Amino acid sequence: MAPGRKGRIIRRSITIGIVVALSLGMEVAGFVATPAAERPEVGYTTLHAIVPLVFAACAGVAWAIGPSRVPARLMVLFPVFWIPVPFLRVVEGLGWLWPLLYGVHLWWGVLTGVLVLLYPRGDLDGRLARWVAGIAFGASLVFLLGTVLLAQPPEEICSCAPNPYAVGEAPVLYAAIDIGYRLVGVLLALVIAARLLVRWVRGSVPARTVAFLMPLALFAWATTLAAQAVTYAASGTADQVLATVSLVAIASIPVSFVAGIAHTRNMRARVADLMRITREGADRGLWAESLARTLRDASVRVYWWDEERGRYADASGEPIVHDPADRHGDHGLLPVASPTGMPIALIRHDRVLTDNMRLLDGVSSALRLSVDNGRLRSEIERTLDQVRQSRARIVEAGDEARRRIERDLHDGAQQRLVSLGMRLRLAANQARDRGMEPLGVELDGNIAMLNDALKELRELAHGIHPSLLSSGGLALAVPELAGRCPVPVEIDVQAEGRLPEVVESTAYFAVAESLANIAKHAQATRAWVRAHLVDGVLEIVVRDNGVGGAAPDGGGMLGIADRVDAVGGDLAIDSPRGAGTTITIRIPVPSPAAG
Amino acid sequence: MVEASRPLRVAIADDALLLREGIAKVLEGGGLDVVASVGTGDELVETVRAGGIDAAVLDIRMPPSFRDEGILALEELRAGGSTIGVLLLSMYATPEYALRVMGAGSGTGYLLKERVSEPQTLVRAVETVASGGSVVDPEVVEQLVHRTRADDPLSRLTERERSVLELMAQGYSNGGIAQTLFLGLKTVETHVRSILQKLDLEESPEHHRRVLAVLTLLGAR
Repeated sequence: MAPGRKGRIIRRSITIGIVVALSLGMEVAGFVATPAAERPEVGYTTLHAIVPLVFAACAGVAWAIGPSRVPARLMVLFPVFWIPVPFLRVVEGLGWLWPLLYGVHLWWGVLTGVLVLLYPRGDLDGRLARWVAGIAFGASLVFLLGTVLLAQPPEEICSCAPNPYAVGEAPVLYAAIDIGYRLVGVLLALVIAARLLVRWVRGSVPARTVAFLMPLALFAWATTLAAQAVTYAASGTADQVLATVSLVAIASIPVSFVAGIAHTRNMRARVADLMRITREGADRGLWAESLARTLRDASVRVYWWDEERGRYADASGEPIVHDPADRHGDHGLLPVASPTGMPIALIRHDRVLTDNMRLLDGVSSALRLSVDNGRLRSEIERTLDQVRQSRARIVEAGDEARRRIERDLHDGAQQRLVSLGMRLRLAANQARDRGMEPLGVELDGNIAMLNDALKELRELAHGIHPSLLSSGGLALAVPELAGRCPVPVEIDVQAEGRLPEVVESTAYFAVAESLANIAKHAQATRAWVRAHLVDGVLEIVVRDNGVGGAAPDGGGMLGIADRVDAVGGDLAIDSPRGAGTTITIRIPVPSPAAG
Repeated sequence: MVEASRPLRVAIADDALLLREGIAKVLEGGGLDVVASVGTGDELVETVRAGGIDAAVLDIRMPPSFRDEGILALEELRAGGSTIGVLLLSMYATPEYALRVMGAGSGTGYLLKERVSEPQTLVRAVETVASGGSVVDPEVVEQLVHRTRADDPLSRLTERERSVLELMAQGYSNGGIAQTLFLGLKTVETHVRSILQKLDLEESPEHHRRVLAVLTLLGAR
């Protein structure tokens, strides 16, 4: 990217340098070649020499910031065709050259006119603009052709060699072409100026601030041009003051052009500000205000799409009064829709801003981004909330299922097996009563096996859901849990009263898993469990003096972390190698009123 | 088997009909008189208040909340001044419950439900609590004794003293311990004194206080 950019800058600088040198060369050579008596004033010549320099300088700027390359190219061509009439004296001996030069010595005017037509978007918009440009080029070709084929050496300018291309002598025809060309030029300049003026008058404050210099310059130029044309037609000598004003007017045209574009760019920078406000999530009223500031157009209104009613309304809910079909009003309407085609808003703006599509593109992008962001954010929040709720429900449903399984085991299988044991005992007693000792012994063995099975079932049911947790809460269940841990555990449970079931079971299983890990991996000789309820948060700390280095994503712990997360809590594991493990679990306890 | 002049009158409370009937059968087989059989703790409290009951056998988990209704009934009875023997049955050997049961006063017991397949154990337990003694399921004691602790006071006991301590915790009297371990009564008394000394426990004239003290010590380790 950078080398290409650098190369381009160098190329453009060289081009500008060449045309400037060429222009100055022509100016100086012409001045020197003119006999002292006939020379124009030095001040005038200097001013005349400065005009192409201004164009060349503005070309450099226009290349850098222009809406397209065309204006810059026109500006850089200008000095080439800004051929001072005295320069003809330099080439008066070259019969093949001077008719060509003379034929194009007014083309700078065409370039200037087209440059104005291109303002501000950098292309010819509208039929009028294209017609004007076409006529100007056509007339210029006719003049060139006429000059080459018919012109005789203009005696008042130079003592030139005869025109080698001349096909015959028709001084009247040539004079008509000459004067006609100048008049057409004046007319076109006036049309262009009028067009700009109408736009300017119709335009809003922002548009006028952008372009007030341009029509002024053009008008000054056109009027002086007209005056000069009239004087020329009357074969009078040009008035010095008029000529000076004309030069200043011409020089101010590229300056106005560049200044207007710079101003537009400044507006785009403000669109960037608008983007920033958008990102910060400003409300609609503020956004519309910022937009008005950005566009320097207090008449800007933003109508938001009201999905329920299927219409546009402003921030306060007033429906739009403007007829969107009114295309001849002072205002343009910019509909903004999301990428999926959903209408977002309608921006009513000054009509002149339509000329600045890139600016409006920026504005609508900002708005689209803002609304899309808002929509996405609320959608994500909604989804996240749903996920959180469903996760909490899953955890609660899981707890409920565990409780139910334990209860089913307790009321079903366990009771039946206990009864069965009792019946077997009765049977064994009866067998002994009837003297069947071997059968009695056999039944005793069965009872022992049954009791072992019952013990296992008891452990299983306890693991599924400890009944002590249901009846006694954490204050009883945690010490019982610690009692089963092969590593001695010091307990400090300060949770008065009962907590919500889901909190208790989450805390219980978290402690159970932590203690199981300590027993399995920590190689600890001591562990501590501390559970405190502070400001509506149950904080559980399980600590050991083992080897540390516990992975936070170890299967069991990950499940516990998920569980804790699901009830809105968090779990932190601090396990430096060789310095024990501390697991801190924080679970918010909903107030009883809330549920 | 302790022969009473008249059979002990027992009330049973369990929400599982199957077990209720089974327990009644076992107790009747042991020579006890089952005079009431109900499904909730509240009903049992009412039955006992009506009078004529010597001992009650209760399931811990009963309607309405299926948590600790049996213990609540016991606490209600004791609060009402009743001193009848109360034996609580549970599917789980939970030391915390055993302590709570012992804490309610003398004449209480806590056994695993599966002891119904050992008629003598169950019958003897009812008789023990009816006569003001204490009974704690051996599995509860086993859990307590096997709880781990860094500076375990139990490590100061000899193996024999440990066996004696376990029986003390289960509610055995000195005589019962002597019988179970085939030791002389004097020997047992010596062991008990030594244990109490080593564990910093007070010699209490009241039998169930001794049980409670031992259980508390074991549980608090």
